[in-house]
Amino acid sequence: MYRFMENESGTQPAGEQVVAAGAKNLISMHNIWKTYQMGVEELHALRDVSFEVAKGEYLAIIGPSGSGKSTLMNLIGCLDSPTKGEYWINGHLVSTMTDDELARIRNKEIGFVFQTFNLLARATALHNVELPLIYAGMRAGERNDKAQAALASVELGDRVMHRPNELSGGQRQRVAIARALVNHPSILLADEPTGALDSKTSVEIMALFEKLHAEGNTIIVVTHEHEVAERAHRVITIRDGQIEKDERIK
Amino acid sequence: MDFTETLKLAISAIWAHKLRSFLTLLGMIIGVMAFMVVFSVLQGFNAYIDEKIAGIGSNSFTIQRFNFEDFKDTDTIAEAQRRNKEFTLEDLEYLRGRAVIMEKIGAKAGGNRRTLKVGNETMEDITVDGAEPIIGEIENVDVAQGRYFSDAENNNSMRVAFIGTDVADKLFPQGSPVGQEIDIRGIPYRVIGVRVAKGTVFGQPQDAFVQLPLKTYGSNFGGFRGGRYLYFLATAPSDALFKDAVDEARNLMRQRRKLEFGEKDTFGIVTPDAISGLRDSLFGTTFIVILAVPAIALLVGAIVIMNIMLVAVTERTKEIGIRKSLGARQNDILKQFLMEAATLSAIGGLTGLILAKIIGVIISALFIQTVIPWYAAVIAIGVSAVVGILAGLFPAWKAAQLDPIEALRAD
Ligand SMILES: Nc1ncnc2c1ncn2[C@@H]1O[C@H](COP(=O)(O)OP(=O)(O)OP(=O)(O)O)[C@@H](O)[C@H]1O
Ligand SMILES: [Mg+2]
Repeated sequence: MYRFMENESGTQPAGEQVVAAGAKNLISMHNIWKTYQMGVEELHALRDVSFEVAKGEYLAIIGPSGSGKSTLMNLIGCLDSPTKGEYWINGHLVSTMTDDELARIRNKEIGFVFQTFNLLARATALHNVELPLIYAGMRAGERNDKAQAALASVELGDRVMHRPNELSGGQRQRVAIARALVNHPSILLADEPTGALDSKTSVEIMALFEKLHAEGNTIIVVTHEHEVAERAHRVITIRDGQIEKDERIK
Repeated sequence: MDFTETLKLAISAIWAHKLRSFLTLLGMIIGVMAFMVVFSVLQGFNAYIDEKIAGIGSNSFTIQRFNFEDFKDTDTIAEAQRRNKEFTLEDLEYLRGRAVIMEKIGAKAGGNRRTLKVGNETMEDITVDGAEPIIGEIENVDVAQGRYFSDAENNNSMRVAFIGTDVADKLFPQGSPVGQEIDIRGIPYRVIGVRVAKGTVFGQPQDAFVQLPLKTYGSNFGGFRGGRYLYFLATAPSDALFKDAVDEARNLMRQRRKLEFGEKDTFGIVTPDAISGLRDSLFGTTFIVILAVPAIALLVGAIVIMNIMLVAVTERTKEIGIRKSLGARQNDILKQFLMEAATLSAIGGLTGLILAKIIGVIISALFIQTVIPWYAAVIAIGVSAVVGILAGLFPAWKAAQLDPIEALRAD
């Protein structure tokens, strides 16, 4: 998982020092701004945000509605690029990457878990989990094995041929988690992962997150639920696009 | 993503909307079908003409009253009718007496439609014409039963007949017709032979005829006038001498008609080349006109496919967002939708081709043997796939350009 850290980072002379700092950490954000142009007015969704996340951390990002959580999450997940600032992930400087380069990073480094699961409705659980491997260019046989294994690890080994509408909410979210993990990403990135689930199922999913964390995965959860945030080992609170608090709770 | 992966995806997406896919493809199907039917009929017609030429023998040609050019318009027809005299048996003797290059020269006379009678059985509207015995050799007449005319039968105007299988089957359902008699206008003719069946061409039966020796025909039906015009068939001894033989025929006829140098021919000579030439000039324009219609259907089909692909992109915005979030690049999305459009229209092309094949079988049974060459089938499917790719280009590009965040927000 650290295969890019030692060598590839040296290829960017301008960012040499930052690389040195960022190399210890999986995620390294430096003075990140995200600005939306609303007519003549500028709306700063994120202002001068800097933080680091080390491998193996379990981080929650909380904050009131409109504070910039989703914006930050999109940046971390490489779905979007910052207006200003540098963002390093696993030794790659992503803040200046093209769309296709970002797609590769998403495929390799990020595993997304969404509030509404975002599974392909027409496809089986197995095919949904195979998707990241398809875009990684893996052959069918190997892909199938890996997807089966990933589904088994979230205790859905007996539901591989089910379609999303034949699964419960909790099961769907577990399919999504299997999909997020199947390509062994550096970070598991979850946006309100329990937002669409009842409290009992939420507890199950949170327990699964803890298990995955114990196995060495790095997890970042964006949430507004305190029960969810309390499970994390570190909580970043943002308000008006700025980091208000960054505290270690475990 | 590799080719088979993309193709599988395309097929499952098309299969998910079976009815819609089918309706989308209707224009395409009709276009390809119309194209292939027209093409196969033209091919069949060509094959028929080629066969006809081969049957006459590529070394033979016809000397007749009119030229193809004379039929250009009413003025030229009227002029030719005034200038070009009807052929006579004396013309034939003149040619025969002086020919040194031409090998065989034989005469035929245009047919009349008559009623045939055998006992109580009658057949109306059957072509009766006349031919010299040597025509059997010049036209390579295939005899099924009996034989063709002899010189004695012609010279003595004997009442004998050579008939087609339709006439034989209808009038002599039992036993061989050879040796039996057919009554035409109260005169009995003895059947001496039956020709091998040729079937129908454009719904025209080729086997409903009675042929008499030329002189018998001339004397019993009122001479070689009007519809019973005389015309001559001649052969060259070899391919190499064909042109010389034609020139000889032309020069002899010009001498016979005492035409001045520079004066137009007052007769026509039709060679197999002229027939192919006529076919080419006829089909040149017909081809373009007839193929324009399917081309328009194809264009409409392409627009419909583009439209449905735009709908598909809008409908599946969320799916595109999900795929992008999991690492699909612009190219992957582009390929996915292009492949879908191409597969869709290739299916349309294939369906059209199959329907054309079925229609071709029906046409072959009723009118004329149709032919779909393999390359035409390949082109039809290839063209429809290319049309699909072109039609899918813009929708696929739109899909590839979608912003992943925006796309994920869609529902
Ligand atoms: N595409 C956009 N164009 C303009 N403004 C935007 C855009 N996306 C977000 N914003 C603005 O940026 C700010 C932060 O939005 P964001 O979605 O990050 O909030 P959030 O913390 O996720 O809120 P919530 O908890 O309600 O989801 C908001 O003021 C929002 O209006
Ligand atoms: Mg949000």
